[in-house]
Amino acid sequence: MISLRDVSKTYSENVRALFRVNLEIRKGEFVFIVGPSGAGKSTLIKLLYREETPTTGQVIVFGKDLQKMRRREIPYLRRRIGVVFQDFRLLEDRTVEENVAFALEVTGTPWRDVKKRVAQVISMVGLKDRKDAYPRELSGGEQQRVAIARALVRNPDILLADEPSGNLDPHTSIEIFELLERANMYGTTVVVATHAQNIVDALRKRVVELRDGVIVRDVRRGAYGS
Amino acid sequence: MKSWSGYLFSETWKSIWRNKASSLLSAFTTGFALFLLGMSFLVSVNLRFIFSTVEQQMEIQAYLKKDISESETSKILEIVKNTGGVREVNYVSKEKALEELKAMFRDKASVLDTLGDENPLPASIRVRTEKVEDIPRVVGELKKIPGVVDVIYQEEVSRRLASVGRAIQIVSFGGVVIVGFVAVMVIGNSIRLTIYSRRHEISIMKLVGATDGFILGPFLLEGIVLGVLGSLVGSGFAAGLYVWIVQRVGSVLPFIPMLRLDFDVLCDMLGIVLVTGVMVGMAGSVFSLRRHLRI
Repeated sequence: MISLRDVSKTYSENVRALFRVNLEIRKGEFVFIVGPSGAGKSTLIKLLYREETPTTGQVIVFGKDLQKMRRREIPYLRRRIGVVFQDFRLLEDRTVEENVAFALEVTGTPWRDVKKRVAQVISMVGLKDRKDAYPRELSGGEQQRVAIARALVRNPDILLADEPSGNLDPHTSIEIFELLERANMYGTTVVVATHAQNIVDALRKRVVELRDGVIVRDVRRGAYGS
Repeated sequence: MKSWSGYLFSETWKSIWRNKASSLLSAFTTGFALFLLGMSFLVSVNLRFIFSTVEQQMEIQAYLKKDISESETSKILEIVKNTGGVREVNYVSKEKALEELKAMFRDKASVLDTLGDENPLPASIRVRTEKVEDIPRVVGELKKIPGVVDVIYQEEVSRRLASVGRAIQIVSFGGVVIVGFVAVMVIGNSIRLTIYSRRHEISIMKLVGATDGFILGPFLLEGIVLGVLGSLVGSGFAAGLYVWIVQRVGSVLPFIPMLRLDFDVLCDMLGIVLVTGVMVGMAGSVFSLRRHLRI
């Protein structure tokens, strides 16, 4: 499903984010990308939804080389990939329901289908009673749930999360990871870049560790540290 | 939750409202550009009207040889009528020419008395052309006809009219292009502000897989709306100013023929201004979107 072949990414002359990374992620996997800040975790995530393109090497998602992908094909790639960020990225002037619906509306989904699907996914993330609230009225954990609902509303094949619990307390973080795990149980491939050591240790998933842009460890049922 | 068109219109309206000041500015700048366009349209329509009035009065006179026979005359008339660009042909016989002369000098009959019974005036043909530009050519043709001894026309006047007409058209076209360009920039700037204030939203749209066309839609519509608003402002002012000018000119210089602003002319102007406004608005949107959509 995801394949990185000899991927390097250099931002400017001396900023090397990734160096000769090889990585295979199969359908239905749950993968943690761990490592210190600046190790290249975010860059790796960005390559997967073609926010960035590699300097050298190939990034293949759904069997397609993303660098060769035409500009107008990118939206259709992204409709199959949900993305969640540390800073939630919600629209402040829209309610929970509208934020989630936004992802469907702007991709031209008929509104009858939108209403039904939005209600389903909001109830899945446990925000049924808060669907008319605005982001500023929600806690950080609730906002992240909205972001996850938005990422999942289209039933994506891949869910990417870049430090999803970075702004959250440990207890709330656990709830967020439970949601990601739930999505994974429904068949979505999940790739999470994170610092949340205790959670990585607890969940016992595949762990890929990056250091200075190089993969230094890739274990099947790993923990945060080696 | 809205349909695509609902989304399109509500987003456009919201964004115009959110940036009231810059929307207003661009609508008025566009309005000014389109006001100039409207005015230059009215001026050129009027010039055409004035020219055609003058042209209708411009005659070529071809004098025929003195002892011309009737059959020769009718042959010549036939040739002239079939010459390209000729609109009207009038035959003036010797007798008629004398009558006209007499009428002209009615108060000084003594001048004519010296002629006695003799009529020294030649018969002539008066020719009017379709266009001023046709005159020199028609004159050339007339000169070639046997039996025609002399051709007289107001060469200088016709040449000047034609060149003044061309100059005015070039100048007003240039003015419209320049101000139109400014309007495109100003609308572009307004759209750029909108894009900036909505960059967060646009980045999310791109993230969730909205196509460029979808993202572009509301901005394109915003540009069009600003263009249309500008058209209405511009043609309103142009029509108002024109009516005022016609009234002033009518009272101060009544001999200048001016076109009244009737419904047809107004519709033509509104149509031209509106279409241009829409194009200017779209150009403005596309101009700033091309550079800023790659977020």
